[in-house]
Amino acid sequence: MSYIALFGNPNTGKTSLFNCLTGSYEYVGNWSGVTVEKKIGVLRQHGVSVVDLPGVYSLQPLSRDEGVATDFLLTEPCSAIVNIVDASQLRRNLHLTVQLLEFGRPVVIALNMVDVAEKRGVKVDAAKLSKYLGVPVIPVIARTGKGTNELVHAVLAAKDKPHSSIAVDYGVEVENAIRSIAEQLPDDVPGNKRWAALQFLEGNERIAAYLRGRFDLSPLLAIREETEQALGCQAAKHIYETRDRWISETIAATAIEFEQKPLTLTEKIDAVVTNRYVGLPIFLALMYVVFMLTFNWLGTPLADRLDAFFSGPLADGLSRFLDWAGASPFIKALVLDGVVAGVGGVLVFVPQIFILFFFISLLEDSGYMARVAMVMDRVMEAIGLNGKAFIPMIIGFGCNVPGVMAARTIEQPKERLMTILALPFMSCSARLPVYALFAGTFFAREQALVVFSLYVLGIVVALGLAKLFSSTLLKNENSLFVIELPPYRVPQALTLWRSTWEKGKGFIRKAGTFIFGGSVAIWLLTYVGPRGVGVPMDDSLLAAIGGLIAPLLSPLGFGAWQAGAALITGFLAKEVVVSTMNIIYHVHEENGLKQVIASHFTPLSAFSFMVFVLLYTPCLATVAAIRKETGSWKWTLLSIGIALTVAYMISLLVYQAGKIVGFP
Amino acid sequence: MVLTDLHKGETAVVVRLAIEQEALKQRLLHLGVKEGKTVRLKAAMPFGGPVMIEIDGQAIGLRRKEASSIEVK
Ligand SMILES: Nc1nc2c(ncn2[C@@H]2O[C@H](COP(=O)(O)OP(=O)(O)OP(=O)(O)O)[C@@H](O)[C@H]2O)c(=O)[nH]1
Ligand SMILES: [Mg+2]
Repeated sequence: MSYIALFGNPNTGKTSLFNCLTGSYEYVGNWSGVTVEKKIGVLRQHGVSVVDLPGVYSLQPLSRDEGVATDFLLTEPCSAIVNIVDASQLRRNLHLTVQLLEFGRPVVIALNMVDVAEKRGVKVDAAKLSKYLGVPVIPVIARTGKGTNELVHAVLAAKDKPHSSIAVDYGVEVENAIRSIAEQLPDDVPGNKRWAALQFLEGNERIAAYLRGRFDLSPLLAIREETEQALGCQAAKHIYETRDRWISETIAATAIEFEQKPLTLTEKIDAVVTNRYVGLPIFLALMYVVFMLTFNWLGTPLADRLDAFFSGPLADGLSRFLDWAGASPFIKALVLDGVVAGVGGVLVFVPQIFILFFFISLLEDSGYMARVAMVMDRVMEAIGLNGKAFIPMIIGFGCNVPGVMAARTIEQPKERLMTILALPFMSCSARLPVYALFAGTFFAREQALVVFSLYVLGIVVALGLAKLFSSTLLKNENSLFVIELPPYRVPQALTLWRSTWEKGKGFIRKAGTFIFGGSVAIWLLTYVGPRGVGVPMDDSLLAAIGGLIAPLLSPLGFGAWQAGAALITGFLAKEVVVSTMNIIYHVHEENGLKQVIASHFTPLSAFSFMVFVLLYTPCLATVAAIRKETGSWKWTLLSIGIALTVAYMISLLVYQAGKIVGFP
Repeated sequence: MVLTDLHKGETAVVVRLAIEQEALKQRLLHLGVKEGKTVRLKAAMPFGGPVMIEIDGQAIGLRRKEASSIEVK
């Protein structure tokens, strides 16, 4: 199996192109570091595998996501490399191009962002560039798919063919060193020996590690030292400068620059959103608007309508259908009291969740995300993190799992670990049904405010914990923050819809699998008891299980077995808390779930319960992601332990203090 | 003079990157911040927060401490 690999600088449109080529819907966004792992697809109609990789500036990785790209070159076979080059940033893109050409597999260049380059006053002559580089250069617009057919032809023609491309001359000293290193390299090094020798000379740690595993590096190190003495500077510096000069010549010969025009739209927006005084207030105001739209102005009315439909026409229709089909009372109860109550009870929150996802997608695709990271950096620095950590946190509002993954772009290992540990406290969309149900029942008028306080509490706990870590276990002196601020792009309606749908689909799929299965299991647990089947709910197995932890929870204000059972099942996925409550409190009378819940909780205990659900443990999928990303059970278990402890303490505080103050 | 001495909107030429941290220096080189380039200070965040600079038409955010180790003229 051999791949066509997509390489390029971050945020140049690799994933957009990958989606065009393979018909997939991978994650696209307007900031650097959207893709953090390799994604495999199949070239339409040709059956060849294509791989999308995280963006890199060079083949020497500084962060974990960049390591994925270099490791791919070292360990996986590729039949051709498609190098996506941003025409508006030709110089820095070509640094990577030269390294890829040196690697020695067939390369085809996809010249992207031609539209942006033209707006900036730059026109690149693809034919000339192709002659200079010795490989095909195909202009494309990855956003619309223009030029992809030509690109596919060029790639299929170049694939696996012998080829010759340019070789930059690095001067006598380096060329001699390359030759003597190459002589000592084994025949099975990935890529050209010249490439491997050059990367070694440049100080690429990945290559060095790869070679060290095979033979003794000391002769090679001696050669590097000798060369550096002869050059009078670091080999890396010399190589970089030589490449840069070569690139300057190439650009001078192939690109016409009429006049350096600034991108006026970007300049105008930035003058406001990165303004010293209003930058941060604007971000907070935008968050507030998103919040109000999701919970108050738009989301809740829609959800109420959907709820009325599910509990009215849908349940009645299904009930009549089951009667007509002659279903047994057992099946009827399972479907209506288990599945409809459990799954439907979660699905009614689809409107809120889609509205939230829509705004997260908008934030991602506009280019504002990187600005937020910069605006927040001062606050994050005080905590011992950096502004980049705010991007995974925002993603975490949608779902914690991609948030944990996105932390890969943080260069500092300690900062990355702290970000991962803080992430489960970001209130993800799965917790939203719990808030909507409880806040809707007990705080109908102040609903948005109450939910807002929970989101803020999540952020405060996340940051507080990070602060605690950064001043104890994970002290970190050399924090690092450099971020590329891409030009703003007007999001396309189709892309926006797709990325909203891709996120929302996860929620619906979960409803159809996890929550469906969970609902059936939970209903069965309410149906059977230690002393037989069809027992009253209070004698059921579920009651017995929930009853085990109920006494522990009673100081927090919700000591009934129902709450305990809901929380235990909620470890699967937090929506299941709502499913379980729906099933347990399911009633056929008109007044519905809200009234029943109102008789089991008080406003204060309901708030305490929401606080607990927010904080108490990362869900199963997040635990798996944390395990995978930290590579350590110790940190994973610590994360769960901290969450449980913090949740217990804060809920206890809320409930007991609330009681003293005299809240109902 | 260093980068942070510039006023908002002013441009200057980079003379030296006096940055100790190797990874950071690499990152800046990747983004085209190097000797001989013209930079413009676009914005500065309050309370000693990061600054936003522009180089080759590319906007970059970096911390003030690091920006003040970039010598310009
Ligand atoms: N104007 C314009 N925008 C484009 C073009 N191609 C891609 N984009 C936009 O550029 C941004 C980045 O696209 P991605 O496909 O996520 O880039 P990537 O290279 O995969 O980025 P990373 O995964 O972060 O390395 C998105 O906002 C795209 O809509 C193009 O040809 N013209
Ligand atoms: Mg990508």
